[in-house]
Amino acid sequence: MSGPGKDEAATLVEKPTAVDGLHYVNYGDQRESPYLSAIRQLISQDLSEPYSIYVYRYFLYQWPDLCFMALDKDENLIGVIVCKLEPHRGGPMRGYIAMLATRQQHRGQGIASALVRMAVEKMIAKDADEIALETEVDNEPSLRIYAHLGFIRTKRLHRYYLNGNTAFRLILYLKPGIPYKHTYPPEYGGPSDGGGLMDEDLVARQAAQLQLEDVEGETHDVTGGNTYR
Amino acid sequence: MSDTVSRLHQEAEEAKRVWTPRVKDITQDFTTASNKLEGGQLVKDEWFTLFESVGALEIMDPKMDSGYVPPDDTFEADFDPVRPLDLPEVLWVIDQIHSLEILWHAGYPLSQTVFTSLHMDRILDPQQPRMPSLYLHAADKEVNAALTEEQSLGHALLTAYCVAVAKCCALVVELVQSQNYYEEEDFVTHMFGRELLPRVSLEEALELVDAATSRLRKSKTVDAEMKEALQQRMIFRTTFLCALADGGDESRWERMVGLLGRIKTSHEIAKPLPEAFSEKVQRQLATSTPPRPMLTTSWDEACKKWTKMIEDVVAVNRLTDINIVQSPASLQRAMWAFSYRGEPFALPRAIIQDCLFGDQAIRGQIPQYDLLLADIRDLVLAGDPIADPASFQVEVTTDPRHICSRLMEGFMDKAIEEYLNFYRMVCQNRCRIRRLFTQSIAILDAMEMEAMKVDRELIKSSPGLKLNDPKSGRAVSLSPLSSWAKFYRLRILAWTIQLGFETEIYLPYELAGMYWFLSRLSEQRNDLIQQVLLFTVGRAKRLGKDRNALADCLLSEQYLQSLHAMYEITRLLAEALWKLFTLLTSTGVVKKPKQDFTTQQLLYEARMKPYLCLTNDTVPSADDFALATTQNASLEQTCTDIDDCIKSAKELLVKARKLTPEQAKFVGTDEEWKREVKGLEATCIAVTVACSQVRSAGKKYGEDHLAKRLECKIERRWAEWWVVPSVKVKADTKP
Ligand SMILES: CC(C)(COP(=O)(O)OP(=O)(O)OC[C@H]1O[C@@H](n2cnc3c(N)ncnc32)[C@H](O)[C@@H]1OP(=O)(O)O)[C@@H](O)C(=O)NCCC(=O)NCCS
Repeated sequence: MSGPGKDEAATLVEKPTAVDGLHYVNYGDQRESPYLSAIRQLISQDLSEPYSIYVYRYFLYQWPDLCFMALDKDENLIGVIVCKLEPHRGGPMRGYIAMLATRQQHRGQGIASALVRMAVEKMIAKDADEIALETEVDNEPSLRIYAHLGFIRTKRLHRYYLNGNTAFRLILYLKPGIPYKHTYPPEYGGPSDGGGLMDEDLVARQAAQLQLEDVEGETHDVTGGNTYR
Repeated sequence: MSDTVSRLHQEAEEAKRVWTPRVKDITQDFTTASNKLEGGQLVKDEWFTLFESVGALEIMDPKMDSGYVPPDDTFEADFDPVRPLDLPEVLWVIDQIHSLEILWHAGYPLSQTVFTSLHMDRILDPQQPRMPSLYLHAADKEVNAALTEEQSLGHALLTAYCVAVAKCCALVVELVQSQNYYEEEDFVTHMFGRELLPRVSLEEALELVDAATSRLRKSKTVDAEMKEALQQRMIFRTTFLCALADGGDESRWERMVGLLGRIKTSHEIAKPLPEAFSEKVQRQLATSTPPRPMLTTSWDEACKKWTKMIEDVVAVNRLTDINIVQSPASLQRAMWAFSYRGEPFALPRAIIQDCLFGDQAIRGQIPQYDLLLADIRDLVLAGDPIADPASFQVEVTTDPRHICSRLMEGFMDKAIEEYLNFYRMVCQNRCRIRRLFTQSIAILDAMEMEAMKVDRELIKSSPGLKLNDPKSGRAVSLSPLSSWAKFYRLRILAWTIQLGFETEIYLPYELAGMYWFLSRLSEQRNDLIQQVLLFTVGRAKRLGKDRNALADCLLSEQYLQSLHAMYEITRLLAEALWKLFTLLTSTGVVKKPKQDFTTQQLLYEARMKPYLCLTNDTVPSADDFALATTQNASLEQTCTDIDDCIKSAKELLVKARKLTPEQAKFVGTDEEWKREVKGLEATCIAVTVACSQVRSAGKKYGEDHLAKRLECKIERRWAEWWVVPSVKVKADTKP
């Protein structure tokens, strides 16, 4: 996820401003925290198209413990990471990093790296087998953060985002033997299974915005369930 | 999840069926319903999934709600499609639709392209009678009556043009959907609740265009230049429409290329009418996507894209020429050649698939089974009665040829689908090609198992499969089908790695290991080819009189030798790069990230996941990889080894240059073959240059200081499938 960035997303800030009283906190168990709107605002700054409030709620309501925030001395939101963790197709316990952002003027000081570390550690504590995410192929800062932690690129996803940008799928295994774990194939011909099965309105939007559920477990079906003349 | 999705599908279907453009005020219903909840209360429906959350819209949010009308704005666009137009304006509208249409071909939705034309919108209005017209409402008729002759002609041309565009789009959707493609990634077939004039027949559309065009031709007032410009567009449109409809006549596509050139220049006399296009149209389309901008493109860019697309279709005809499709290996090269014409759009990709797979026969002429049989014959069974089509006609049940043919048929039944996928996969987008091949490996592995079983049966009835090995003197036997399956398994495995290089899947520190794996695979491939060659040569010796079979054997021998040469080049280059990257990584020039949360073993499993399923081969272990990428030899020795590899590769490339299309089976793709060889030569040079940089820097600064002194960029400039380090001394460390 961590959707399509705007063009200026990766511009290097000349001199990042140090954050006074920087500290990190967990989102906590408040289902609708006062930070929600700040989170939403920070994330949507770097999106070409906004997520609905339901997307944020989807994650924060179910996995508040996997959301971490960087705050300044006045408790203003400087950075945030939003994740989920659940079994992937009946197989490995998969963590998923959905959103990550640092405020423009405070980038390049390791804030995002610290947030990712916290999330990864929390997922390990919660017995995750693997962690996945997608990021745009030219998002250098993000690719660097994850490479440092040991994520590798497993797939390139053509025109993954609504704005037509291409993504990498990144994976980090946390336990040995994951490739041998049984998973169930995707239950339907989702977006990544091709063959024009997704020509319906609602599903189409979902497909383009985040194909996260399907891409990994795609079935081998080059013919996409079409009938040929 | 499946329930949710099928429900969504169903809902979308229903929405489509009953959808009519009317606006209903739901404020009251909504308020009543929401009053039943407490303020701030969150309700999580069990079925509310991530998909739904992303599909959800916030009503009245201008960035999300495509029906939202800002306070000082109007719901509908101001432009009236029945407004009288000058012909230069008509020309501009036509060209604008033409530009937007190619963006649709390039993968953008109709809602941001063709549908933003208010003329198209009028023609596609669900309230239109069977034959649509611009004059839909009562008041429009009055406008119509007041038009001058030229204005009326303009409307007639525009109406006909829009109808024809709609029909073209409908046919394109049909063609694309008849073949494999990835919705949203490659193409968007979504109609947003609109229909593309299903009740207007092709003939009626053509008649409409013809009638308008002949009115234009007869006009005494329209000046010659304008007349010519408008005519070109109408002719282009009918040509495109007819070509899409019956595909038969190839010369049509060629003519279109010429027409496009003329259309491009005559655009100069058009008079802009931007108000005839508006993204407000989206407010009335059935969609849950947020409002999205109408796309724009320059006229030159649009023309370039159109020409490229039509030329790609012309290339389909060239690349599926009868001489090519008779040779499976040549046809496979032709598919790659097509795919590397700068990623063709969905339409040409559908057309090439249709050529190959329509009517169960390649180009409607060569049955698909014949292609598979020819492939098996060319690779492993040239000159052997087992793969001779005549054997399949033998009816005497005790005849070994009859027995073998049934066994072959049994195998081919199981293999044909995946075999045809080899061709089809190459027609997909580059990211997909790699992933599809990755998934193919397990299927081929299973196919190889199946082939082994059949091979054991074949050997019982077929003396030609046994031989005394001239070297060892021992009796050996050929396992033709499993060798064939293994050939493809190894080839596709190697391709997934090389496509990984192309799509930047590997981080720099992984390259040493992946090149080592590739060189190892190439070695395996060549062992296999040598084994097969032994039998092909042996068979040729025994054939004596049978001239046809002998000719087959000789051709196959040459082909196998050409494959051997190319795999040897791959092996040598891969070995050179493996050693070079090992050196660069171990000296710290290529940096390995800290990777706090992982281990060697975990990284290995994540990287090798697609290959760990193999049962017919031992996949190298994490330790094997670690060992292979440990720097043992001295820097000097390593550089010498690299140079030796490159020297041998270059010698083989000289030979490769001399191979004929028949020998190496690149019939019809000579140019591409030359380009490939050239790319490999350039890669050799780049490796040599990088190696000598490292060597001299090593001498000058000492091995331990290379990391500080050298900087390394990973480049893929010389050949698509080869990533090469470009090494230079850092500017600030110059003496
Ligand atoms: C990606 C993002 C979260 C990084 O935040 P951050 O707090 O600046 O990140 P960090 O300081 O921890 O680390 C960034 C890394 O990228 C590097 N970097 C920063 N800006 C860069 C740039 N413009 N180009 C290249 N590298 C850059 C840093 O040097 C650092 O790498 P290093 O550890 O090797 O030195 C931030 O850029 C952002 O909010 N972007 C928009 C949203 C987004 O893209 N999210 C990620 C999608 S998963």
